[in-house]
Formats: sequence, structure tokens, C-alpha cells
Amino acid sequence: MSAYVEVTDLRRQFDVSKPWLNRVIEREPRRLLTAVDRVGFEIAKGETFAIVGESGSGKSTVARMVVGLLPPSAGEVRITGISMTDPRQAAARRRLRSRIQMIFQDPYASMNPRWRVGRIIAEPIRAFSLIQGEAAIRARVGELLGLVGLHPDDARKYPHEFSGGQRQRVAIARALASQAEFLVGDEPTSALDVSVQAQILNLMRDLQDRLGLTYLFISHNLAVVRHMATRVGVMYLGRLVEVAVARDLFATPRHPYTRMLLDAVPDLAHVGRARVPVSGEIPNPIDPPPGCTFNPRCPLANDRCRTEVPALLDGVACHAVQEGRA
Amino acid sequence: MTETILSVRDLTVAFDTRRGPLTAIDRVSFDIGRGEILGVVGESGAGKSVTGSAVIGLIDRPGRIAGGEISLRGERIDNLSPEAMRRVRGRRIGMIFQDPLTSLDPLFRVGDQIVETLRTHTDLSAKAARSRAIDLLAEVGIPAPERRIDGYPHEFSGGMRQRVVIALALAAEPELIIADEPTTALDVSVQAQIITLLKRLCREHGTAVMLVTHDMGVIAEAADRVAVMYAGRVAEIGPVASVIAKPHHPYAVGLMGAIPTLSQEAKRLSQIPGSMPRLTAIPQGCAFNPRCPKVFARCRVERPEPQAVEASRVACHLYDSAERAA
Repeated sequence: MSAYVEVTDLRRQFDVSKPWLNRVIEREPRRLLTAVDRVGFEIAKGETFAIVGESGSGKSTVARMVVGLLPPSAGEVRITGISMTDPRQAAARRRLRSRIQMIFQDPYASMNPRWRVGRIIAEPIRAFSLIQGEAAIRARVGELLGLVGLHPDDARKYPHEFSGGQRQRVAIARALASQAEFLVGDEPTSALDVSVQAQILNLMRDLQDRLGLTYLFISHNLAVVRHMATRVGVMYLGRLVEVAVARDLFATPRHPYTRMLLDAVPDLAHVGRARVPVSGEIPNPIDPPPGCTFNPRCPLANDRCRTEVPALLDGVACHAVQEGRA
Repeated sequence: MTETILSVRDLTVAFDTRRGPLTAIDRVSFDIGRGEILGVVGESGAGKSVTGSAVIGLIDRPGRIAGGEISLRGERIDNLSPEAMRRVRGRRIGMIFQDPLTSLDPLFRVGDQIVETLRTHTDLSAKAARSRAIDLLAEVGIPAPERRIDGYPHEFSGGMRQRVVIALALAAEPELIIADEPTTALDVSVQAQIITLLKRLCREHGTAVMLVTHDMGVIAEAADRVAVMYAGRVAEIGPVASVIAKPHHPYAVGLMGAIPTLSQEAKRLSQIPGSMPRLTAIPQGCAFNPRCPKVFARCRVERPEPQAVEASRVACHLYDSAERAA
């Protein structure tokens, strides 16, 4: 069986050059920022693949390329075998579109404040002509609201009448309205309070069990990822440094960055813990260090790490691990 | 406990609106001792930041302190004139806010801002203030401080900027520091560095710290005691280890269960139904009663007062009988 989502050699560069005239006068070349560099992974149907990383690691850029909001500079995303970029598969892609949906961090920013919630949720149904007849659409909207734990009468309210958690429920209902089977959540609970976050995470897991959904879950919060993911990819400065089954990753992290990250997270179990935090911060992605991008902060770095980019072999991109030094 | 630095008694903060006063903080009491870190935790709208602002006298109109007392080393500071309070702020109470960029003036060199603070609050000469500023930058872990002192805030990374803010807060050797979400805007690896720094400085200088955050993990690592706030009231206050491991108030119990942790894989997070009441509709009796799984008749009519339960103080009627029996 081939994977539901296949991402191969994905790359995205952004042009961050100064305007043309400045470049000519100051004799500066174009400057490209490589936000995502040769990222590849697969997601099986029904699983939750999570990408974790700190800010600037490129995790959101990957999510946007997977759903097709951003064209990749190189590489390919295939969902159910259909390429998201190949112009020859445009017709097949259009049919696939409705089955892929995204949930954003701030649900309020992703909704038209002047539309009633019923109309917001019905929009994908109408856009893809999935159901004919107003009464049938209304019934489906009511059913969707029930599915995410709201009341069918809530369809008459406006987004501002809901709390943050309820709005995220509306966003999930809208994502499901088009009979989506693949949901991409970009920090879907980061803006929510912990008790509300727990409600949304539980809801997402329940819906996955009931509807057989596949998730790509983007988060900076390792504890949330541990709770949600079946497999995890760790990103650092645009590259995937480790991919592993969630349980293995949290029990025996292999890449030095993953270990550092797991050690750095403040956790309830660490009351009064004293520790030696890792020094340094993420370097500027415009001018990343040569070789392995983690080398300036890595305790295991040697000359090879400073010159040669490690390939992702057997789930980890690290010379030290591959040479048995870790 | 050692010497009490900050003592807050029955603090009440109200916001005057056209429809009458809204009580944002309702009879909150706590103490912070010398060298102690008190964590104040709660979800958004719980009143934790307003409590911090009230202590430093930065409640903006239409808000006002409507009752209670705030004392710093036994001296009342809640009724000082704005001019007198301005001298207390910065000199005796330091502040650290979430976003370091907003607490630093982008047009002035970092060193000049520290020197300004030093010269306002101490009688150091310009030269002595500059060398003290370099010492401060070195103390908060900024590399090459004698060079970095002449940098502008935008030349520093997020973590380094927050270190500068900490240096500013410490400049006049205050007795108390109010830190409002000091690590929320930072990445986890940098967050760990800042927590460690704050803990070390507080211990070395004997500074009392009120650490306001929504992140229970940060509290677990940094704080000695923790106050859990809900709807403008303190639900439970006690030593951090016992509040996390064995919370008593049903809200604290729900909150701890709702937080996903790295150390264990929970099948399902416990969730508290509903969300925090708005200030306009705080329920009668215990503010938590509509969401409480253990609610009984008394909770709906009579507000529970904080009472001693083991090492903590808990505002919950469930423990009424225990106290009577004891």
C-alpha cells in the first residue's frame, strides 16, 4: 500500500533581496532564504504525523506547501498518488481539493466576522456543490455542529459570539463540511487556554476515530505532539533532522537537537528541576551555518559536521549518530 | 517563612463601565518572601496580569483599586501618590514583560537605557553607571558586554533582548520583580535559559519574584509556591510540588489533568466543560460552580473563603467539613 501523503525533496526559497535599484547601486546579489530544504516524509492513511520545531524551523511552510497554499520551489507533494503541482493532473487535483482542509491557529482570523456561523460552515458545501437544496444544507450544518460539540441553533450566531475554543470547533466543523479526510492543523491549539486546548485535542482524536481522518499536525509544543501524534518529524532550520514513531522519539531521542529540545521543555514532572540549558539560539536562516545547521550549538560537532550536510538516513540526519559517536 | 517582601491583602480591582463597576480582581491575598518565586497561574481572563499591574500601580483608567492593601516590606504602596509610586517602580520593584521589544526603546542604545535607569534610581556617576551596566549585561549572560552595550535593541535576538530587560529590571537592585509571561514569546530552548537565569539571579540577590504565566510547566520549574487564579479569585495557593502533584480545588485538579505532559502518555486529557465566565456574568457563590464536577447546593449561594488544607490554602466548600472536624 502506498502512503496517503508522500512528500519528496520538498524545498522552498523566499526572495529576501533588496529592491532592484538598491541591488544595482549597492552591487549586491540576490539573497534567497531557504525556508525548507529537501524535506521528505510519508503519512499513512488514518495516522497523525506531527512536525515539531521552534520558530523559523520551516514547519508552517511545509504545511502550506502540503495543502497547496504555497508552490514549492522544488520537490513534490503527492496525495493519494495525485501530484499537487503537476499541471497534467489538474482535473484529478480539483476533485481531491475538497478532501484536504486546513485548521489555523487563530480561528477568528480565518472566519468572515460578518457571516453567520451557518453560512461559514456551509461555504465549502456550496463551493463544491456537495449537497443540493437549502433545507438539506441546513440539516448538514446542524449535523456538523453537533459533531463538534456545538448546538445546531448556534448556526444563527456570529463568530464574535463564541469563545476561542468554540470558534476552533466551528473551524473544525467547516473543515469537515467538505467531507475532508485529510486535515492539516497549523498550531490549532496554540492560541487556546489549557483547559480549552484539552477539549479541542480530545475532539480531534474522537473525530479521527469516528471518521478515519488523517492529520498533519504542526506544533511547537512537544507535550501536545506527544499526546496527538503517531509519528513525529523534528525540523531545525528548514531541515528534517529526525523522523520516528512518536513513542520511540520521546523514549529514545537520537538527534542531539531532539534531545536538547526534550530536555528544554518545562514540564509538570520537573518540579524545581535544576539543569544546564543548551546555549545559543537558532541562527539567522538567511545565513545558516555550513554543514549541519545545528553544529554551532551541538556538543558532538566535529569538522565533518561543520562542512558536510548530513543526510536523513534511517530516520535521523546526524553524522555523530551515524558514526556511532552519539 | 523568611522575611515577607510583598504582602497583598484582600486586593480588589474594579473597572468602572457605563453599566456599573466590573470586579476583575476579587479579594485576592498572598505573600511573597525574600528570595521566593511565587507563580501566579490561570487561564486568560483569570486576572493574573491585572494583579501584577495592581502591585506596580499600573492599573489604567477606568480600572481602579477598589479595596484591600498592598504592602512592600510592611509599607503600604497602594495609596501612594503617582509621583511617589514612580520612584518605587524601577527602584524597589522591577518589571519584566512578555515582549522585550515593547519594554526597550528602539531609538536608544541598550547601554544608555540601563544607564538611564541606574542614574534615575541611584547616585552613581555616569562613568560608574556605565561600568555597572556592563557588569549587569555580563551577569545576565550577554557575551562581550563591553561591545554589546552600544548595540540597539534590534541588533539583539529575542532571547538576548529578554536578558537585557532582566538586566534593566535588576539595575536598581529591587526587592521585588514582577515578571509577566517573561518566556511566552520565546522558543523552548531559549525559554529554558531565561528560566534558569531568573532563578539563579533571584536566589543570588534575594529578590522576591511574582511570576505571572499561563504555562504550568514554567511554574513547575521556576516557582517555589503557586497561586491558581480563576475568575479574579485565588482558588488555591500552596507549595508548587503539592499543588501540581495533589491539587485540592476542583478547578486546579481539572487544570492539571488538562495539561498534556511529556512524561506520560495519557489516553485522553481530562477536560473541564465550558469556559471561564465573563466579568459581566460571574456566577453567584463559588465562581467555578457551573463547571465544577463536585458542585453542591452551598456552592451556588455562598462564596468559599480560603482555608488551610494540608500545606495549601484552598477556597472550596468541599473542605469545610474537614476544617470543622479538625
